[in-house]
Amino acid sequence: MSGLLHGLLYGLPIITVVLTVTALGLWFERKFAARIQSRKGPTMVGPAGILQPLADVVKMLQKEQLTPASADRVLFELAPILCGAFAVATAAVVPFSPTVVAADLDIGVLYVLAVNALVLIPVWMGGWSSNNKFALIGAMRAVAQSVSYSVPMVLSALVPVILAGSMSLSDIVRYQAEHHWFALWPTIPGLPAFVLFFLSSLAEANRIPFDIPEAESELIAGITTEYTGMKFGLFYMAEYIHTVIASAVASVLFLGGWDGPFYPGLHWMVLKTLLLFASIYWVRWSLLRFRSDQLMTLCWKWLVPASLLLVMAAALFVKVGGGH
Amino acid sequence: MIEQVGFGLVAGCIVLAALLVARAKNAIHGVLWLGVVLGATAVLYVMLRAPFLAGIQLLLYVGGVMTLMILGVMLTRHDQHEAALERKRPWLAGVLSLFLLGMLVTAIQTSPELHASEAAPATVKDIGRSLLTEHVLAFEALSLLLLATMIGAIVLLRRDRPDRLVEESR
Repeated sequence: MSGLLHGLLYGLPIITVVLTVTALGLWFERKFAARIQSRKGPTMVGPAGILQPLADVVKMLQKEQLTPASADRVLFELAPILCGAFAVATAAVVPFSPTVVAADLDIGVLYVLAVNALVLIPVWMGGWSSNNKFALIGAMRAVAQSVSYSVPMVLSALVPVILAGSMSLSDIVRYQAEHHWFALWPTIPGLPAFVLFFLSSLAEANRIPFDIPEAESELIAGITTEYTGMKFGLFYMAEYIHTVIASAVASVLFLGGWDGPFYPGLHWMVLKTLLLFASIYWVRWSLLRFRSDQLMTLCWKWLVPASLLLVMAAALFVKVGGGH
Repeated sequence: MIEQVGFGLVAGCIVLAALLVARAKNAIHGVLWLGVVLGATAVLYVMLRAPFLAGIQLLLYVGGVMTLMILGVMLTRHDQHEAALERKRPWLAGVLSLFLLGMLVTAIQTSPELHASEAAPATVKDIGRSLLTEHVLAFEALSLLLLATMIGAIVLLRRDRPDRLVEESR
């Protein structure tokens, strides 16, 4: 029962913070993108446009909720809710500091990967139930992309697991705090695995350059074509939450999580997460979108074999280096 | 007591969802209900203190197998009328299922090793060790099978096969 209480006590604030960061992320992305492209971004709502996300939400809540007549109604309504829920669920095991973690599972890494894999289903459900060809094509692309990219993602997440000898995210951070951050040492499986994990989680979150499921120039809005108002908002939000959590997980697995000098752990963790978060937008507004086949070629011909090699290298390092 | 109630709820969910899989008129709905079955099975594993198995169940079955089934349904032809599968001889299916149920129940009742024990929860290390020592033959046989499947899929999809080229140019 104490586990439940602990989960509630820490889970609620963590969800609140994650949602707040998500809202601010929306604002940040617009400002950041605008600066990259020599524009100003939101300026009217509040100081420097900081209240823009609030205005967006109010706008979305006011919009009419439309359901296409030929849609599969139940699935259509269910998809955005599940999508948001699964996206938030990943936050449960992320250790933000030695004490701030909602549920310190022994199989934390596996949990994150498993719930990540689940997000795909509501995304696909939404695309299919809309009964719209653009939504359906978007859904097909999302499924193909997600299935492919979860392979290198799982394999590269295995590297820190092997190096630290544990699947618990807290243990992995503790190991890194005692030894080295995995992105720095051992450099050979560590750094490339970090890059691979980051790339694959970009692809899983449908971020540019991997956002072909909703390529607006060819698919209108992909899976969200038929969604209006807050239902669209939930999909949109889930994407941002996914990005925040992916950054947090990447910094836990490879950048030492809460480990850092002078400041308390929580500060370091938040700083690392936000830096990765910002770099995702940097990539997003600097690069172009891949084509479908290029995406698959990149994944199956390069990332998968590379991640297999990295796993072997990690095992070799542990074996030769004396193990844990 | 709480555990029994929880088990009852989860097991009820599984049975209900499984029935809905069998009754689904639409292949996609069937696949999604199957997802509920598989997800609820993961909950059972958690209740049996096997979190690793539960994670694997979610990752491989709900994340992987279901996605493949979705792709399978979407890449094959389904006419609206064809999709509503006709059920021929439902009584035969019922008798067969009852027979299977009877077999399972007797197997569970008579085998002594299947009773839930209060042993320490199996860790990832234990599972890994037993896979690579005790069950190494089965493990390697499975790997071989999967490899054969993968190579088979590649061979089937090769674009430079002459018959395939003809089909595409048509």
